[in-house]
Amino acid sequence: MSQTPGQVYERIADNVQRVIRGKPHVVRLAVAALFCEGHLLIEDVPGLGKTTLARCLARSISGSWNRIQFTPDLLPGDITGVQVYHQNEEKFAFHQGSVFANVVLADEINRGTPKTQSALLEVMAERRVTVDSVSHEVPRPFLVIATQNPIEMAGTYRLPEAQLDRFLMRLRMGYPDRAAEILVVMSDAAGIDPDELPPVVDIPTLASAVAQVRAGRIEHAVVDYAAAITSATRQHSEVRYGASPRGTIALVRAAQAIAATYGRPFVTVDDIKEVAHPVLDHRLILKPEAELRQRTGEHVVTDLLSEIPVPVAVTSPQGA
Amino acid sequence: MSRGHAIWVLAATAVPGMLFAPVFGAAALVAPVAAVLVACYAVAELCLRFAALRPWRPVFALLVGLLALVEVSLFDTTVGGLPTVESGRALLAGVSDSWELTLQSTWPVRPEPELLLFVPLLVLFTAMIGLELLRWPAAAVLPSLALLLVSQAFVAVSGLVATLVGLAYAVLVAGLFFSRVRSAVALTVVLGVAAGALTVVVATPAAYSVRQNQTAHVPLAREVSPLSEIAARLGDPDTEVFRYTSDAPVDRWRLVVLDDFDGVRWTAADQYRRLGSAVEPPAAVTVPTRANSARVTVDGDDPWLPSQGMPASVTGAAPLIDQDTGTLLLTERDGRLSYDLRWWEPSGDLPDLLDAAVSGDVDTGGLGTVPAGITTLAREATRQVRPTFRTAMLLEQYLRDNYQVTTGGTLPTGSGWPQLETFLLKDKAGTSEQFAAAYVVLARIVGIPARLAVGYAAPEASGDGETVVRNGDVLAWPEVAVDGVGWVPLDPLGARGGVGRAPSKLAEVTAQARAALPPPDEDVPDPPVPADDVTEEPGDPVPWGTLVVAVLAGLVALLVLAVLAIPVVKFGRRLARRRLGGVRGVVGAWWEARDLLAAHGARITPGMTARDLASVSEGSIVDSLHRLAFQLDLALWSGAGASDGTVAAAWSAVREIRGALASRSLRARLRAVFAFR
Repeated sequence: MSQTPGQVYERIADNVQRVIRGKPHVVRLAVAALFCEGHLLIEDVPGLGKTTLARCLARSISGSWNRIQFTPDLLPGDITGVQVYHQNEEKFAFHQGSVFANVVLADEINRGTPKTQSALLEVMAERRVTVDSVSHEVPRPFLVIATQNPIEMAGTYRLPEAQLDRFLMRLRMGYPDRAAEILVVMSDAAGIDPDELPPVVDIPTLASAVAQVRAGRIEHAVVDYAAAITSATRQHSEVRYGASPRGTIALVRAAQAIAATYGRPFVTVDDIKEVAHPVLDHRLILKPEAELRQRTGEHVVTDLLSEIPVPVAVTSPQGA
Repeated sequence: MSRGHAIWVLAATAVPGMLFAPVFGAAALVAPVAAVLVACYAVAELCLRFAALRPWRPVFALLVGLLALVEVSLFDTTVGGLPTVESGRALLAGVSDSWELTLQSTWPVRPEPELLLFVPLLVLFTAMIGLELLRWPAAAVLPSLALLLVSQAFVAVSGLVATLVGLAYAVLVAGLFFSRVRSAVALTVVLGVAAGALTVVVATPAAYSVRQNQTAHVPLAREVSPLSEIAARLGDPDTEVFRYTSDAPVDRWRLVVLDDFDGVRWTAADQYRRLGSAVEPPAAVTVPTRANSARVTVDGDDPWLPSQGMPASVTGAAPLIDQDTGTLLLTERDGRLSYDLRWWEPSGDLPDLLDAAVSGDVDTGGLGTVPAGITTLAREATRQVRPTFRTAMLLEQYLRDNYQVTTGGTLPTGSGWPQLETFLLKDKAGTSEQFAAAYVVLARIVGIPARLAVGYAAPEASGDGETVVRNGDVLAWPEVAVDGVGWVPLDPLGARGGVGRAPSKLAEVTAQARAALPPPDEDVPDPPVPADDVTEEPGDPVPWGTLVVAVLAGLVALLVLAVLAIPVVKFGRRLARRRLGGVRGVVGAWWEARDLLAAHGARITPGMTARDLASVSEGSIVDSLHRLAFQLDLALWSGAGASDGTVAAAWSAVREIRGALASRSLRARLRAVFAFR
């Protein structure tokens, strides 16, 4: 029986929120990323539940999932797989790496060496692995959920800004408020472990939800508004490199997905605004002088969202 | 550029355009100025709708504006509304000549396109540049400000009118900054006060104008002066010259006034202007005047048209006028010409002329080299009396009594010194030419300002009202300048000259003064010197207090009006939005809610949706805004459009918001009612 994306979202969100308490919006965005088959980067200080969220998401889907703990001695072959010589059969055979799964959890990705990171980023972009001139498709849907800790410097390799572009969204967990924190403590005491979560969605259902999300209705004016935002990032005085057209595509697709999580078959301007921060913040490279003033991509996007007229203002009568 | 800004900048351009009204009359300016501004607005509107036209906006504005101007002002030059080469020529003349023709004319000028075209053209250029500069509102003001300066240089307004114009302009300029309410109010007040203060400080008693020294340049054939034709005309007395029908007694018609004499020839000053639509009596004339009129029909191709001392207007011809002398000149004419002449004539209770002083501020003109014996004669004739009008009358009496008018036979000609010497000292007989010229030179010798006029004595009117003037009526006469009355014509020939058969009021009073003169052999006591009662005038009596109060009262009234207008405008806007249907109806509801909350102090940015607004609101408004947002999303983005139910639901959300706002404090609600949003 086919389920609507809204129902799929409800099931996943209910499941995840048995463990992740007080963060419904982050969960919603994470599921939205899932619906667009977009990779997710969860970034925040330790102890806020990044890895837990990633594990819960991976667990909620009945497909295969792998976890890669990034360390400085992790090699590209560990991720992609290697050719192994089989003495009995006297030939080389491909031994799949950890990336061959529907959901790949790349924990603490910034602890891996740039070489290893690149191996992962290549498969993220192309969804296939090439070893010794032979391409191997990874299973679909394919989703990488990476986490990273932005405050630690020693022994980490910061992801290059250009490669951050591969991630559909960058989420920040944020500190829970007091009520949510009490809930977290209570659920911890109750002993619900992410690994105990049952899968609630199978792969064909998820694939059908992804297809329905992509067919969501979007008016030209809304696309125009999304394009206006990304184009404004390129002209902003504090930004060295603004969002690419890939950013615009990501913005629109993420808005389609978030609309689906609300059970709506059409995209509104509010959807664009809701996903603008997770989709655009990490794609902006600011000028050094702006960074010296402690400005971030988040500030720039906030400014643009308040300045760029929403389409209703443009088409309205009797107003201006 | 927004539609609102375009309207503000165009309205701000209309104000200086209409400031040319003292020159052309407001009625004549409204149509052409409105035409070009409407054309400019139409172009701006088109460019707002079709982005492809935008780069060509200035060119379009210019072309459409010119076309509109041709249709409104130069329709005669078109063929069924299509501009012709002739229209182009007229527009070109509008750029190059019309301002100069206007400067050469008396004001108010005739409202003809060839004169006033430069005003709508200036307005068009100003509006065009203003529209292009709208990206920077402060710069968009500059063109209209420049036009304002030009209009004030052309003819300045002063007093209350200037204050009101300044305020109106300030309000329109403030409208350009309407999106920033505080700066708009501040700017309005500052500009209003500045305009008021300028009006008070810069006193412009007689409106200044660049026209002062601009007169029409008229190259005249110098050979033929009407003065030298007198003898010839008297020799052929029966030929008709012109005919007229007048509604008031006329005693003479002037052709030309000669006020300069170099000893040989009499010449005119020729300070000609184009005659405008109406001319007021000269400022030096303080006695009451009334307007008379006559219809004149003149044959031939003489450039001088029969006229009166103070013409008011001419219809049927567009002559040049010398305002000092009343001379009308039509340089290019041939054949019969009929025109209606209106002129000013002293009337009512004129003061006793005999004791009137002669004007001290009039140039008495040249005399050439005065031959021996003439000065003595002049002193004898005026009985050595100090120059007053009485002296002038004594001189007239002397000529009347001691000299003969020549009739028939060979008539003497010429009015240079040799001929005048013969006339005064030897022959003692001559025509009106010699009488008048001799009078003028003698008067000038004793210090009476006098000039020589040439024209026709009015014959007795015939039965049917039309009077025919013939060669035999030709007459030269002297005029003297009298304080407050202007130039008074005299008759040194006496009744023999045939003047006085249909006397005007001035002629009557002059006759009374003449009758009151003492007999020729009696000594005339020097009239007492009038007491020097010219007291020190206390500068310019500017009623500072009154002016400041008036300006402040005007400002306050304007402010009150503006404040009261706000709720009315808002109510109208709400009704208009309420009438909208479909998607527009839902959007109208959203705008109403947005403006309501803005009036109540919510900070709203252009990037805000209804949900964003809900996130910064509080109380039950949040829910109402969410309901409104839901309807808005449904109408705008779902592709389903908006049914009547959707519109009603949206407006019901607005009503809820209004209800929620009604529970706020009275002060907050009052502030919201009068807020700009």
